Amino acid sequence: MATVTELGSETGIPGDRALAGWEIASLFSSALIGEWILSAAAGGTKLIVLIPIAFAFFLVISSHALRKESLRDLGIRFDNFLPALKLLALPMIVVAAICVGLGLIFGTRPNLSRWHPERQIGAQLALGFAWGFVQQYVLQSFINRRAQIIWQKGVVSVVVTAMIFSLLHFPNPWLMLVTLVGGLVWAFVYQRAPNLFALALSHSLMTWILVSTLPISALNHLRIGFKYFA
Amino acid sequence: MDNKSRARLIHLLISKSMAEALLIAAVAVGFYFATTNPNLRGVLDDADASWVTGWAVDESNPGARVEVQLFIDDVFAGDATASQYRPDVHNAKRADDDWHGFAFRTPPLSRGEHQARVYAVHANSAGARRTLQLIGKAYKFTID
Repeated sequence: MATVTELGSETGIPGDRALAGWEIASLFSSALIGEWILSAAAGGTKLIVLIPIAFAFFLVISSHALRKESLRDLGIRFDNFLPALKLLALPMIVVAAICVGLGLIFGTRPNLSRWHPERQIGAQLALGFAWGFVQQYVLQSFINRRAQIIWQKGVVSVVVTAMIFSLLHFPNPWLMLVTLVGGLVWAFVYQRAPNLFALALSHSLMTWILVSTLPISALNHLRIGFKYFA
Repeated sequence: MDNKSRARLIHLLISKSMAEALLIAAVAVGFYFATTNPNLRGVLDDADASWVTGWAVDESNPGARVEVQLFIDDVFAGDATASQYRPDVHNAKRADDDWHGFAFRTPPLSRGEHQARVYAVHANSAGARRTLQLIGKAYKFTID
């Protein structure tokens, strides 16, 4: 049973668990505002989507500072890079094999240059790594860690993190499915070996494999939110 | 986490919510003005087996001619510019000149009741969006 200090205190200030839930909800709302409201209403001014993203990052970084979380706590470190990669290797191989199999079933032959063919694959992987790092930073260093404050380390916090990651990719069904699976693997690995570099590498490679194997029509160019219908 | 940090975090969360609410309100107002011209006026006066007539004026630019589209039973039936002779609109001080009427020839229709709607075409300043605004009210008429 939750104690007074977990949910609230005599001063009327919410406890750590309630506050962590509020932080997750606030970040989720910023993403929804960007994906569903601003991208629909913005017209040609796409830069407006950066405003809720800036709000979200201000919250995330301020929260780390107020909670006195170090870079090492967050997973920005190198000492556990190889153990994290070891944990990631088997699930990545399995998911890659499933993607290749599904692609062949749907009549799509693997094409490793399909992911932004106008760019060199090395540059695209580097960009994918950077984008993956940002996503994993928010997903693991913020959402996963706040979920652990509420539900402790374990199945519930891993599932909640993965479900939030998947819901942020609504209404793209294939992407929701793969982000749920990816979210489960990455959240599980982060709780055992918190290393954002390994997760970003995995994120980038898995996106590459996904785009190279599954039909483009099924992925709908990785569009999410209101843009999915564009 | 001490109470002071907790209180700061709460203030931050509340401030963020307020800023997002203001942002959404601003975007909603901007979206309304980008997709709607509140100065469009007009009336669908009459519709029968031969003609659909009325007038349309953009009061923010009363010398301009308004592009209009006719829909009958929710099916597009034609477009035109409201530039026909309508001195009554000018006399009623709704326009700067006599040339804001529209007249569509009614397409062949089956017997029975039909509904005509005329919309003004509104383009936003960037031209990225073109939207339709209903002129006056829908007009019901019968083909014998």
